[in-house]
Amino acid sequence: MTCAEFQRVLPYIIDTGGNAEQEQHLRECAVCSDLVQDLRYIADQAKLLVPMEDPSPRVWEGLQKSLEREGLVKAAPARRPLLGAPAHGWQWAVAVAALVILAIASFLLHRPEAAPLSMATGSQSQPTATDQDDQQVLQAVATLPPDVRSTYEQGLKDVNAYISDARRSVDQDPNDPDAREFLMQAYEQKAMLYQMATHSGE
Amino acid sequence: MVTRMWNQGTKLAVAALLGFVAVGVVGQTRKELRFNVGPGANVNVVNDFGPVTVRSGSSSQVLVVVTLPSDQVEIDPTQSGSRLDLRTHYLQPGASSKPVRYELTVPSDCAVSIHSSSGPIMIERIRGDITAEGDSANMDVHDVSNGHVHLRTLKGTINLSNVSDGHVEISSVSGPVNLINVSGPRVEVRTTNGKVSYRGNFASNGDYDITTHSGDIDVAMPTNASTDISLRSVTGKVENDFPFQPKQHTSLSLTNGRSFAGTSNQGGSSVELRSFSGTIRVKKQ
Repeated sequence: MTCAEFQRVLPYIIDTGGNAEQEQHLRECAVCSDLVQDLRYIADQAKLLVPMEDPSPRVWEGLQKSLEREGLVKAAPARRPLLGAPAHGWQWAVAVAALVILAIASFLLHRPEAAPLSMATGSQSQPTATDQDDQQVLQAVATLPPDVRSTYEQGLKDVNAYISDARRSVDQDPNDPDAREFLMQAYEQKAMLYQMATHSGE
Repeated sequence: MVTRMWNQGTKLAVAALLGFVAVGVVGQTRKELRFNVGPGANVNVVNDFGPVTVRSGSSSQVLVVVTLPSDQVEIDPTQSGSRLDLRTHYLQPGASSKPVRYELTVPSDCAVSIHSSSGPIMIERIRGDITAEGDSANMDVHDVSNGHVHLRTLKGTINLSNVSDGHVEISSVSGPVNLINVSGPRVEVRTTNGKVSYRGNFASNGDYDITTHSGDIDVAMPTNASTDISLRSVTGKVENDFPFQPKQHTSLSLTNGRSFAGTSNQGGSSVELRSFSGTIRVKKQ
C-alpha cells in the first residue's frame, strides 16, 4: 500500500481504524504515522471544547432551588449566549469542524512534494466526513428565515465545487504552488461559511 | 358645489393618508443613548435584521440612535470602560421579522465591529479597526484610514472606497466586491463566485492579492501606477490592455492567454491576481 492510497481512505478510518493492510502501512510509514498522530491530537483537543451533553433542565432547576433554599446562591438572571460563544453542543461541533477542515487543508498545502496528494474525483461517490459536517451546518440554520437558509445551501454548493476543482488541479499537478494555494483558499472559504453559520444559528 | 365636494374629498383623502402614516409610525420607538468613552474605544453591534450606520463624531462620546419597530424588541447595551456592546433582543419569536435601525456616531479612532445578517451596513470616516459580517448584508465602507478592515459575507455586495494605509481582508462567497482607491500595506480579497472590481493605483508599495474561483477580476489603473504584477487563470482567460514591461524570468508558469507577468514604472507594489476559471482583465484607467 502506498502513502497516496492510505491517505485517500484516511478520512474514513481515522476514527474507526483500518484493515490489516492499512494498519501495517501505518506501522511502517513514519510520514503517515505522524499525520495520523497530528490529526488525532487536533481532534482530541477540539473535543475538549465541546461541552458534555447537558442534563435535563429540570435537573438544573432543582439544583438551583436547593442552593437558593440553603441561601448559598441568589436567583440568577436570564443568561444569553455571547457572540462567538455558542450555547449549544451542535454549534461547538460546527466550530470544531471548521477547525479540523483548516487543519486538514493546512496539511494538504504543506505536505512534502515527494508524497503527492491523490484524492481522486472517484472519492466523490463515497460520503465523506465533511458531508456530515455540511448537514450539521444546514441543521444549524434550519430555524432561520427561508432566504437565509437558501443562502447557506447555495453557499455550500459553491464552495464544495471550488474544493472539488482545486483538488482535481492538485491531483493533476501536485508540484503547482498555485493549485495548492487554491485548495487552501477553498477550504478557508468553507471554514468561513461554517463560522458564520455558527454565529447565525445563535 | 362640485368644487366644494372635491375639496372635501381631497381633505378626506389627505386625512386618511395621514392616518395611515400615523398608524405606520405609532408602533415605532426612537431611542437615543449616549455613552462616554475614552481614547481607543471599542463598539460591538449585533443586529440581525436592519441597517447599521456608523459615522465619526465626538472624540469622547458614542451616540446611538435606535429605531425599534415595536415594543416586542429592545436593545441590550453593556458598557465596560470604553468597551460598548449593543445587541438587539427580540422578546417574542415573531418579532424578529421587523428590522431595527441603528445609527451610531463614534470617535474617529474607535474600533467598530458589526454583525448584521441582512444589513445593510455603512461605515465612514473611521480610523480604527473595522470588522463587519453579514450573510447577505450589503456593506459600504468609505473614507477610512490606518486601520484593519475585515469584511465577510456570503452574498452581499461589498463596496470599499477611499481607503488609505489599510490592512484590508475581504472574504465573500458569491457577493461582488468593488474597490475604488483602496491602498495600504496589505489588501487581500477572496471570493468563490463573486466578481471583483478594482479601480486605483495600487499605492503604498503594498501587497495586493485577489483570488477567485470563478468570479471575474476587473482592474483599471492609471498609467503612473507602480506595480509588479502577475496574473493567472487556470482554466479561464487573462486579458491585458495595459502597457506593462513583460517579465521574462518569473516563477509563474507563463501560458499565452492564461497568465502574464510584468512591471509598470518602478514596480513598487506587488499585485497578484488569480482565478481558477474566471476571466482576469487589466486595463488603463
